[in-house]
Amino acid sequence: MAKKVMFLAFAMLVLVAMPVFAQPAAGGAAPSTDLGGGLKYLGLALGMGIASGLCALGQGKATAGATEAMARNPGNTAAIRTALIIGLALIESLALYMFVIVLRG
Amino acid sequence: MHEHEPWLTALFNDHLAGVANSILGIFKITAENPERPWATWLVMELLVAAIIVVLFAALRPRLSVDNPGGLQHLFESLHDFIKTTVQETGIEHPDKFLPYFGAVFIFILFMNLIGIIPTFESPTMSASVTLGLALCTFIYYNGWGFREHGPTYLAQLLGPVLWLSPLMVIIEIISHLARPLSLTIRLYANMLAGEQVTTAFEGVVALLVPVIFMGLHVFVAFLQAYIFTLLSMVYVRGAVSHEH
Repeated sequence: MAKKVMFLAFAMLVLVAMPVFAQPAAGGAAPSTDLGGGLKYLGLALGMGIASGLCALGQGKATAGATEAMARNPGNTAAIRTALIIGLALIESLALYMFVIVLRG
Repeated sequence: MHEHEPWLTALFNDHLAGVANSILGIFKITAENPERPWATWLVMELLVAAIIVVLFAALRPRLSVDNPGGLQHLFESLHDFIKTTVQETGIEHPDKFLPYFGAVFIFILFMNLIGIIPTFESPTMSASVTLGLALCTFIYYNGWGFREHGPTYLAQLLGPVLWLSPLMVIIEIISHLARPLSLTIRLYANMLAGEQVTTAFEGVVALLVPVIFMGLHVFVAFLQAYIFTLLSMVYVRGAVSHEH
């Protein structure tokens, strides 16, 4: 029964997503022969996505390690929390380097 | 491109344009727009410096051993916080370095926080400001390295083992140059991202949602000031420590 519900939900999602295929027609109304310009934005978007995704993976692992350590030894929660915040900020800055490139063009 | 200037920058540009042009003229630089030479980040940075000077001028007469007031408690806890952080980083004699770290922390914190106030803008949103701070740290830790070790400070670049030196020198030089770069971009990008995100959300829902992002900006302001100071301490420790 659960499998049927999942299949129906997936089918509905795909149906709802159909209008996506209409976009090239709308966007093609003003065709741009400048492939280079378009590729730049594609590159920026992909780069930012990859940077954010990998940053999220790293921060997830950091948080997981920190919470597990805090659960095993609640006594030094403060020290673990400090190390966690520093680690998160440093990992965050790596995704921000990509953001700077995106903002710059 | 003329963007909307904060009122303070417009004030400076209207009345003090001549001062800025003559100071720039000493260095043979002409401003991009000589009629409005004051940059927003410079005006805001001077404002923050003035605020800090006034704050400490107000603090000094109120210092007393027997009857400390609230302001004294605040700055004593700040002093202890920085001293403990320096000791945790592993520096043996923290008192020599406390003035610089305290100054950097307070300055960056105030600069980050002034962006929250509606008509002001964080000077750390400009790469010029953060680059200046990062270069101060760079000169500071290298200066202390030379002071502690003399010219043999450069022997650190050779790495642990002698036959690896040619490779290690290249890697060490690149990593030393990457430090001010990463300090610059980290602070600049965090502040810029905070402001852009708040502006973007103000375009969507102008009423209450940006408050969440301004709260996040306050948290990030404290965090980034702390991270900058902490990394400066780590670099100073690396330069100053006598190992083996």
